[in-house]
Amino acid sequence: MVSLEVKNLSKTYNKKTVLNNISFTVNDGEFLSILGPSGCGKTTLLKILIGIETLDSGEIIKNGKNINKLDPAKRNMGIVFQNYALFPNMTVLNNVMYALNIKLKNKKKAEEKSLDILKMLNMEEHLNKYPHELSGGQMQRVAIARTLALNPDIILFDEALSALDADNKLILKKELKEIQKKFNTTMIFITHDQEEAFSLSDRVMIMKEGNIEQIDTPHNIFNKPINDYVKSFVQDHLVEKVRSIEKCTGIDL
Amino acid sequence: MQKRSKLSIFIFIFLLISVVFPLINMLLQIDFSNNSFQNLITSGAFKEAMFNSLFVTSIATVISVLLAFFLSFTLNRTNIKHKSILKLLITLPMLIPSISHGLGLINLFGTNGIISRIFNFNIIGSLGIIMGSVIYSFPIAFLIIDDGYNYIDNNMYDTAEILGLNKWQTFKKVTLCYLKKPLLSSFFAVFTMIFTDYGVPLAVGGKFITLPVLLYKEVIGLLNYSKGTMIGLFLLIPALISFLFDTFFKDYTSSDGETKKYHVRQNKLRDIFTKIGLYFVIIFITVLLGSFIYYAFVDNVVLNNRFSFNHINYVFASGITDYIFNSLFISIMVAIFGTIISYFTAYVTARVKNKFVKLLHLLTICSLAIPGIVLGLSYTISFNGTFIYNTFTILILVNIIHFIATPYLMAYNAMQKVNPNYEVVAKTCNISLFKIIKDVIIPCTKKTIREMLSYFFVNSMITISAVTFLFNTRTMPLSLLINNYEGNMMLGEAAIISLIILIFNIIIKGVIYLINRKDNRREYMYEAN
Repeated sequence: MVSLEVKNLSKTYNKKTVLNNISFTVNDGEFLSILGPSGCGKTTLLKILIGIETLDSGEIIKNGKNINKLDPAKRNMGIVFQNYALFPNMTVLNNVMYALNIKLKNKKKAEEKSLDILKMLNMEEHLNKYPHELSGGQMQRVAIARTLALNPDIILFDEALSALDADNKLILKKELKEIQKKFNTTMIFITHDQEEAFSLSDRVMIMKEGNIEQIDTPHNIFNKPINDYVKSFVQDHLVEKVRSIEKCTGIDL
Repeated sequence: MQKRSKLSIFIFIFLLISVVFPLINMLLQIDFSNNSFQNLITSGAFKEAMFNSLFVTSIATVISVLLAFFLSFTLNRTNIKHKSILKLLITLPMLIPSISHGLGLINLFGTNGIISRIFNFNIIGSLGIIMGSVIYSFPIAFLIIDDGYNYIDNNMYDTAEILGLNKWQTFKKVTLCYLKKPLLSSFFAVFTMIFTDYGVPLAVGGKFITLPVLLYKEVIGLLNYSKGTMIGLFLLIPALISFLFDTFFKDYTSSDGETKKYHVRQNKLRDIFTKIGLYFVIIFITVLLGSFIYYAFVDNVVLNNRFSFNHINYVFASGITDYIFNSLFISIMVAIFGTIISYFTAYVTARVKNKFVKLLHLLTICSLAIPGIVLGLSYTISFNGTFIYNTFTILILVNIIHFIATPYLMAYNAMQKVNPNYEVVAKTCNISLFKIIKDVIIPCTKKTIREMLSYFFVNSMITISAVTFLFNTRTMPLSLLINNYEGNMMLGEAAIISLIILIFNIIIKGVIYLINRKDNRREYMYEAN
């Protein structure tokens, strides 16, 4: 079932086209990565989807309804940022509870639910810690827990793993997939990192200068690149991979 | 319409009414068509005042900046102990009105001063103005340059050593290079402060008339607003140059402060020399402030050198409590409303991205280019006859506008360090904007808010220039009493007023310091988040 449908979406800033009549769909429970270099329009697309930026033309349809003019709060989408955006003056538990308490208007229920989610994300030891007492990976788990607590239909990740070190990135990538399975949430992951996009996603959408170049499974993008741009994109990634293996193993491939 | 847009428009209208309208209205009063403007600038009194102002301002500025540089060097580049206490003592003169600096000098070096009587001399005139202006302005220059030391990339000293540069070359190529902007900034700021100040010249200038004193006498003495406005135009010039310099001069040398700690080398001769200089300055400040206590509690410094409560009894019998109430009321209101207005202005300009906010930013900081005496005059001309004239409201408003730029910039810098995504999180989680400001952004910036409150309070307690044309007998603030008593040679009474202002300001500074210290123990590292 289609969770989100974007039809002929365009956006222009100061006469510069940032998104050029793009269309795509995201299926229910799917993990879609939007991949592209800086300035390709992926962050603008995220802002439009979440509702903090207006579109010039086109339609965004979620669960069959046009949400073009809907407030961000009414779209039932969550967002996780690269810089976590945790509230520094609140404990881990309060960070997760804060918005939920406003939504439920029931402190006890909000606390119970927050505790459940934090436990699922292995954060029960850190409930009373402040964000500055946590590692990058732990902070990102709290940010995810805060989003999950509100039961969003879709979660958008804005370069959410970019600030983490290699070890934490690896752990969190695995956990993200588990979270997605457990909660069956649709996830849209915006990144410039090919490794992240190809290893996490059911499908990858490659963007260039406001256009979608290809949207397909990682396997198909590798094996059947639709044009030279995608081909070189994939080849670059492969060369990078080979080099890193060479570096780790010392074997000349 | 979004809440942030409504807020921007509200602030814009407020700034239009309180900054743009009075200033333009005042400038429009100047009649260039007849000969009055030409008559003024060719008159002997104007030429003399202009020359006097330029003369004392130039000399005092050079001394002030050099002294500030010497003191900041001593505190940052020598092995001196108790630096934070010494820094506090150096900045004590900032807690009293400029007229009190002149008064302190009269106490010590006036016609019957404590020291001048022994050596039979006095400093009334240009020498007094230069000395008073240096005392009044060097703490500001010191704070600017001292802050500049935080942004020197200390790795450059290692690089200089590796390259074989000697001490002088290293000083020139590293220290001075990094301090170029703070030094120039302090030069412009001090020049403007001294050029536009009338407190020190009025107290200690005698017959040596400077431009602000001429303006004061024209407006207060002769009620000649037209001439006062024309003189005000000349006082705007250095303030405008200083403002343009600070706004548009880009400093490419500053690092982001993430450098290693500077290692002070052993050099006993340097330490002794700088220590003597620093302690001399601190002793001088202490003696100057101490002279207030002496004058306050001695019956008559010349004729009857006995301990007495006569001056205190006199000021209290004259109803000083009313003036204390006035000053406290004005300063507390300025602190509260000034902080609210500048904080929300900074919120909009730092966290909303559009061209309109740039205009708001410029309008808010442009008050830096308006000297207090000119701002006060523009308010007199523009609001005379309105319902706020002759009320506390106009005194509170003029003080807010006079001091808004610095607290606004404090808040602006703090806001930029707060995570930019909180509002997006709030929007997606259905948290209202004001709730996220109240629950997250204000707690993240509470130290800055306290500093803003303290800045508004202290400066409203000491200002005389902005309010001098706007008070009446019912609303008169305490600081203006110094002028009255000093003018009648009641130095003991004037000293008591200076002491009361100093005590209130020390209390406020102390309270803020203690709260911040308590807070430091449970510091939230929100910047890293």
